[in-house]
Amino acid sequence: MESLSDTPWDVVIEGTGLQQSLLALALSRSNKKVLHVDQNEYYGSSEAAFSLQDVDEWVEKVNTFDTKSFRNAAIWKSPTEAGKLGVSRAYTLTLSPQIIYTKSKLLSQLVSSKVYKQLEFQAVGNWWIYDVSSVAALKRLPNGREDIFEDASIDNRSKRSLMKFLKFVVEYQNHGEIWEAVAENSFPAFLTSHFKLPESLQTVLVALTLSLDSPDDTPVGYALPRIQRHLSSIGLFGPGFGAVLPKWGGGAEIAQVACRAGAVGGGVYVLGTGIKSSQTNGEKTEVVLSNSETIVTKHLAHDPDNQRKPDTKAVSKVVAIVSSPFSTLFKSSVEGSPLAAVSFIVFPLRPSASKARLIRSTLWHTQAKRANVRQVNEQSLVSLDLAFHDEALEEVETKWNAIVESADEQKPFMQFEERTGMTDEDDDNENGY
Amino acid sequence: MAEATAPKPSSSVKLVLLGEAAVGKSSLVLRFVNNDFQENKEPTIGAAFLTQKCNLPTRTIKFEIWDTAGQERFASLAPMYYRNAQSALVVYDLTKPTSLIKAKHWVAELQRQASPGIVIALVGNKLDLTNETANSSNSLSDGGDGEAAEGEDADGDARRVSTAEAKSYAEEEGLLFFETSAKLGTNVTEVFTAIANAIPETSLKGTRGPGAAQANAGRTEDPSRVNLTGPRDNASKEGCAC
Repeated sequence: MESLSDTPWDVVIEGTGLQQSLLALALSRSNKKVLHVDQNEYYGSSEAAFSLQDVDEWVEKVNTFDTKSFRNAAIWKSPTEAGKLGVSRAYTLTLSPQIIYTKSKLLSQLVSSKVYKQLEFQAVGNWWIYDVSSVAALKRLPNGREDIFEDASIDNRSKRSLMKFLKFVVEYQNHGEIWEAVAENSFPAFLTSHFKLPESLQTVLVALTLSLDSPDDTPVGYALPRIQRHLSSIGLFGPGFGAVLPKWGGGAEIAQVACRAGAVGGGVYVLGTGIKSSQTNGEKTEVVLSNSETIVTKHLAHDPDNQRKPDTKAVSKVVAIVSSPFSTLFKSSVEGSPLAAVSFIVFPLRPSASKARLIRSTLWHTQAKRANVRQVNEQSLVSLDLAFHDEALEEVETKWNAIVESADEQKPFMQFEERTGMTDEDDDNENGY
Repeated sequence: MAEATAPKPSSSVKLVLLGEAAVGKSSLVLRFVNNDFQENKEPTIGAAFLTQKCNLPTRTIKFEIWDTAGQERFASLAPMYYRNAQSALVVYDLTKPTSLIKAKHWVAELQRQASPGIVIALVGNKLDLTNETANSSNSLSDGGDGEAAEGEDADGDARRVSTAEAKSYAEEEGLLFFETSAKLGTNVTEVFTAIANAIPETSLKGTRGPGAAQANAGRTEDPSRVNLTGPRDNASKEGCAC
């Protein structure tokens, strides 16, 4: 095995989470010598996805060592059902489930970088809300205007208010006079004061923001762009859905594919190797790897996970493997829509219960097999958002720009030509649609 | 006449390439795909995967060949690399015993990570560096009789891994076994044909037809799959356009 210290590196990237992996890919295709390391033996950092066996190891690691991103991990197997579990690698449990709205720049960049060809995407289908107003039951959220009109549980006056709000929110940027002054204020209160929306509909709209805070702590300025994104994403890639999820483990899958593409572009990948220390002297940074090898690089991109301060915000997550397919939840409600692989169920708190926590759970259709495995963890502020946020991409582009300083190497971010040998005439037919 | 108008069923098969750096993985593929060889080829950078058809009497197998892109050097291949692979080519350099040890490691890794039914071929490359090229290629393809290769270490023979040793390991693990020269083209097509023949018909789900194109990256037809490019209304017809 050759020595890493023999190469003068342009960039050393630490951690293989989604952002770092996209950065490595972008840089490797901008003629930079990239060394991409991860202290873990797996790809994905705090967005990793695991088989059952890997999860066991991960839980032990979290509880033995001080990991910055996670704490209090536990795994529970039903004594009666666990025997019915399939083989370990039949499951992919992700630490950080994130949907990707079809409007997200991530998808267009996966296409322009040709990385999408090695990924499969599945549709996020129905959104449900646990409705306690009458009989406790799950109620499907309206999926567009027709649904709203047909919904007998909403009275006509509320329907008009809702339509007025929806019309506003799709172009809220043009109506700064309505919301800018109250951007920091509570979103439900804004819906009451400006649109006279009843509490039941406020709950629905807050649900669409995927806010992890209670409704009253969800500000107007946070909610509006997210609702707009939700609405404008529906139907973009086909009827009946507005978001997708990469098959086989969400962001972890994109990270792996990006890393592979980065290697194809000339990047060198080393797992199980972290960064012990680094020292910058002028143009050069000396980096000591965890294997005590010292390397020299022009740039060093630290793992954002390791840069985080202990944060006040933490989220408890549960990943469960259940014995029911829950087919009702995944049944498509719009003709011609793909079978949903993900459904959202929102358990709202009453807006007045402001300090309590909003609990939300995602059901994973592909994991809906027999028996129960439960894993509980608290995660500090790492990819906590349940939807991929384009800000993450902008950060990557900024870092990329800073490193690719010379103008002649500047090509548009994440736009790559097809590599030779990747296609033949058949692939053109298959992929060219 | 009827044969000409009704093409044989065609299926895509993902093949992953494994083996120590510089054993000739890419050269084998280059020989198979382009019938070409480059002396002193640089380590692989560039192609994510190559494709090549293999015509069998009753069907056509289209290999989608995934090069490691150098990620094998520090054992940093991702699970996605193995996912859905129906076949694997594990290559060692028969002039370098450590490369066979590495090959065994990759076989173990495949048995751990890949689909249970995966067809694995163990290939000793660089047969041209031995002084037995002409005969052994015949004897191997005639029935795998590797006895002739035993004990030869005459002048100019760089072989350091005996045919018998590698072959008995391959038999123990249920692997196909070949010795090849990517440089001369010896046995290269034979390896891929043998893999194509060994893939059970039942595991070929990517058969062409309506819907096959949508499933081009994965093998299974997935009703929840979303297409990220192109107009949506073509999605249902694209299979016939090929």
